[in-house]
Amino acid sequence: MAGRRFEDAVMPHLDAAFNYARWLTRNDVDAEDLVQEACMRAMRFLASLRDGNPRPWLFAIVRNTWYSRQSRPGMAVEHPMDMQSRDDRPDDALDPEQQLAQQDTVARVRRALEALPAEFREAVVLRDIEGLSYKEIAEALRVPIGTVMSRISRGRERLLETLSVQSAPEVML
Amino acid sequence: MTCACLDRDLDAYVDGELPAEADAAARTHLDGCASCAARLRQRQALKRALQAIPYFETPPGVRATIALRASRMRSLRRLGLIAAAAVVVLAAARTVTFLPLRPAPASDAAQALVDGHVRSLMADHLLDVRSTDQHTVKPWFIGKLDFSPPVTDLAGQGYPLVGGRVDYVAGQLVAALVYQRRQHVINVFVAPSGTATAGVAARSVRGFHVRRWTAGGMWFSAVSDLNEAELDAFVSALRSS
Repeated sequence: MAGRRFEDAVMPHLDAAFNYARWLTRNDVDAEDLVQEACMRAMRFLASLRDGNPRPWLFAIVRNTWYSRQSRPGMAVEHPMDMQSRDDRPDDALDPEQQLAQQDTVARVRRALEALPAEFREAVVLRDIEGLSYKEIAEALRVPIGTVMSRISRGRERLLETLSVQSAPEVML
Repeated sequence: MTCACLDRDLDAYVDGELPAEADAAARTHLDGCASCAARLRQRQALKRALQAIPYFETPPGVRATIALRASRMRSLRRLGLIAAAAVVVLAAARTVTFLPLRPAPASDAAQALVDGHVRSLMADHLLDVRSTDQHTVKPWFIGKLDFSPPVTDLAGQGYPLVGGRVDYVAGQLVAALVYQRRQHVINVFVAPSGTATAGVAARSVRGFHVRRWTAGGMWFSAVSDLNEAELDAFVSALRSS
């Protein structure tokens, strides 16, 4: 039987797929279900990968699976998250130095990213966390490169806005 | 280049995705424009913070499930091919009626073990007790078999125990212990044996490798599509445990 084996083509990218799924769903349970269902689809449609690049191909499957799950009746719709929770803000009772120490930059950037609308969130995740090129992101999202550029740009713009509300960005980052 | 022009390209510049000419123009502008340079630093700092966000790791159970389903699907496909080939052979045999159909070769022990292995990968037959804990798996067999198979977890050696089941191989009720090596499943069949043999007998049937040995009044057979070197390493880890 010709063709690539799932184990060789897809398994090495399982962590990337799970990470992306976790950013799409924003919770562990949905991410686990999603990545399993997406892998089942990937097994079935492995032939469509041909000589292609497995990463954007797999991300596209994860993404399509997620959006088709969401439109299924009875499936949870993306719940708006209460991102700007109290504990994100520096505690007023502390002096500025302690406030700075209290702010865990990475945790705050992570929360801000989680709060981004999905179309910006996934573009930024694919670029900055998964490390895909613009061309690969265009392949995964099935949109033109120009759209990828503008989503990344607007996504980062929004992140900086969110973070600068909390403190001066230069200090914060 | 103006600030407004750079604005459109700033992210692509940070990402190193601008074509050479536009990249050079952006750099020249950034050298001379303090406010754009400040925005660049902000972007770079954001990017570093994003890159520092830890990866969400695939839970091991999810990984194992996917690997198992992949190997099961491959076995099913392989079986499908065998079935398709059998149809072709039968069709050929029918048209060439003067060729006597030979009786199937007597199925020997290795054959039966491989059949047991393949059967375990089909449907949901692999595990009756799903546990990586040897102290859960061993007592599970009590009352189901009239012997108590030794159960050892070899996770430390890279062959985690994933569970076990009772199986029926070549007319004998046996314990099947299931181990995993990456995406490969290893079935270890165990049953009482009247004879003791020295060493490990090796066989290969249809791409599956079989290792058979005796110890402590029982025979053991490890069956897997894992490569032979790793299967041998597994067998020696199991025998010396």
